[in-house]
Amino acid sequence: MTDTPDRTDAVSQEDATLEGRLGRLEEIVRTLEIDEPDLERALALFEEGVGHVRHAEQLLAKAELRVEELLNEKELRPFEERDE
Amino acid sequence: MSETRNFDLFPPDGVIERGEGTVPEAWTPSQLNRAVRLLLESSFGSIWVTGEVTNFKRARSGHCYFTLRDDEAQVRCVMFRTDAATLPTDPDEGMTVRALGAVTLYEARGDCQLVVRALEGEGAEGLWRLAFEKLRARLQGEGLLALERKRAIPDFPACVGVVTSPTGAAIRDILSVIARRAPWVRVIVSATRVQGEGASLEVAEAIRSLGASGLVDVVIAARGGGSIEDLWAFNEEPVARAIVECPVPVISAVGHEVDVTIADLVADLRAPTPSVGAEAAVPDREAITAVLDGAAARLARGLRGSVRRRRASLEGQRGRLARALPSLITPRRDALRGLSERKLRAVQRTLDALRSRLQVAAGTMTALSPLATLHRGYAVPLAPSGRVLRRTGDFPEGLEFSLRVVDGHVDCRTSGAAPSDEARA
Repeated sequence: MTDTPDRTDAVSQEDATLEGRLGRLEEIVRTLEIDEPDLERALALFEEGVGHVRHAEQLLAKAELRVEELLNEKELRPFEERDE
Repeated sequence: MSETRNFDLFPPDGVIERGEGTVPEAWTPSQLNRAVRLLLESSFGSIWVTGEVTNFKRARSGHCYFTLRDDEAQVRCVMFRTDAATLPTDPDEGMTVRALGAVTLYEARGDCQLVVRALEGEGAEGLWRLAFEKLRARLQGEGLLALERKRAIPDFPACVGVVTSPTGAAIRDILSVIARRAPWVRVIVSATRVQGEGASLEVAEAIRSLGASGLVDVVIAARGGGSIEDLWAFNEEPVARAIVECPVPVISAVGHEVDVTIADLVADLRAPTPSVGAEAAVPDREAITAVLDGAAARLARGLRGSVRRRRASLEGQRGRLARALPSLITPRRDALRGLSERKLRAVQRTLDALRSRLQVAAGTMTALSPLATLHRGYAVPLAPSGRVLRRTGDFPEGLEFSLRVVDGHVDCRTSGAAPSDEARA
């Protein structure tokens, strides 16, 4: 995170879920294909889209399954398989 | 067992005889019934009795009372609460059943009765089948089995809820499938018993609390295969209601393919095994990679399209501008031309006005001209420089000057000059 100007954008990109990214990507691609935005907007959308693709690929590459157990409607703890 | 000796039902002849002075031994009803009860219980043990059920009643206490009969006889039956609780449903009137129980006597009434421990419908799963069909008919009547009610399973869930036993193969299978296909997904397990008495309430509660947590995008309700009794929790109404009311889609993944449960029927998706349920809940890593690749290509194509469109539009505008120029310029040139003519006319008018003012001025100037005075006989002395000589002081002796008269000038020389008396005073 050395590029300070993009910091807020970068953070929101970090926070997005995979589902969020894929949904936003679909939106961006459709806008580019159907709405025919002007060049500046098309460039901005393209850059955002490429960011989502890159982050999503990173997520796929480094993900490790996280399993929690719901104790009631609010409390969670790491799930551990029990013996019979 | 010493008692049994006293209740010998077939005493040797002559022991009980009238009129020999011995008081005949008479039994009280209590003694008799007790003796009969013990006799019955010790001689039958556990037996199966088959017949038609009639007058089945479930008392508030939880005990069930009914009668088994055939064409010619009937026997009263009781099923105590703990045993009755295992019944999937009450048998229908007239239903043929098999009852496993012990023969006894209800001493207070002297009635022979069967204490039933287990009750089965005709065929191995009769009563279970009956309960299943009853609940299915009721849910169908409410429209809860309609295909239109089925919700789509999300393509890319961020969080998957799993309702199952924390032990056993089902949870292991589900976690290993998700870890392989979609390890970025968060999994929240709501652990519950999945069989035994009260299991359906626990499963229902586990589904409810996952739904209420607001954390999950989809729920898998799972257990491994087993007998119909083992799966029974998933055939009971509380589970069905919890699935129907769950705010996110529910995948049922119960038992193996041949078992269809009520949970399967009301769920948004039925998976034949827990593993298949997990596969249905999350996308495959490969599928997402393909989506991402496709999106990247479409992004690039979209941007190229934008550039192309922008260039085409620029060129179009340039052409339109070129075509538009003549029509833009001509009217303005004409306008300019009209403007000059108007201006010329205005200048002309100004000039005319000046000219006539000049004529008037010329007339006035003629009237003031010294020529008229010269006409009248006056002359004007002028120094060689052209200066008008007005006073005697301007004429020193010997000065040569010229005298302007009406038709020319006269050369003169001063011989003397004297101021008049008025000028000297």
